[in-house]
Amino acid sequence: MSEKKIKKIFIEGAISPSFIADAISKHSTKKDIGAHSIFLGQVRNDVINDKVVKAIDYTAYHEMALEKFHEIRESAFEKYSLTCLHIYHSLGRIVTGEISLFVFTSSMHRKDATEACSYLVNRIKEEVPIWGKEIFEDESYIWKQNRP
Amino acid sequence: MEIKILAFGIIANIIGKSEYTIENIYQTDELRKYLEDLYPRLKNLKYAIAVNLVVSSENFDLTNGATVALLPPFSGG
Repeated sequence: MSEKKIKKIFIEGAISPSFIADAISKHSTKKDIGAHSIFLGQVRNDVINDKVVKAIDYTAYHEMALEKFHEIRESAFEKYSLTCLHIYHSLGRIVTGEISLFVFTSSMHRKDATEACSYLVNRIKEEVPIWGKEIFEDESYIWKQNRP
Repeated sequence: MEIKILAFGIIANIIGKSEYTIENIYQTDELRKYLEDLYPRLKNLKYAIAVNLVVSSENFDLTNGATVALLPPFSGG
């Protein structure tokens, strides 16, 4: 696999609303796009055994994760008619209320964008080697488990 | 014969380190048994093993210099 094809996916820290706004505005020159679909994953203040989650600390198996992202991306392009597709995931400590996953699909008509976006989020959660450590207010933690 | 072990998530916690080398383990099933004898908490955990970035549920031959990653259930997103 060529190194060039591997896109930058990981962002150290939270994904800021201005980064998302910039990503949207960059597409204004692509006039064949008729629909965008965006998924934003936000860190939630779950309560586990009476303790409140205040942040999630994300780590990844970098090399394998980037290959997986690439594979998932290629498969979305094969399956749906997309103009473009962007994925960003945070690493490090993200506090509740901040964004840790940003999936952005664009197509001529809305069906491809919305279905591809949901397909990508599912595959990312199931197949990409990323782990979230849920940190409570007293700094104790548990390892997060994704729900199906 | 040496292999590099990478441990992630809760497995790095259980083992107490995230990267080290071990010698004279020749197959993934043998590695699982070796690790579970040393760290019994692993027995109750579902984890995948990736050899040189490839995950296989079958028993897999390990070659000298292989990178073997221990992957607990993913929780990205």
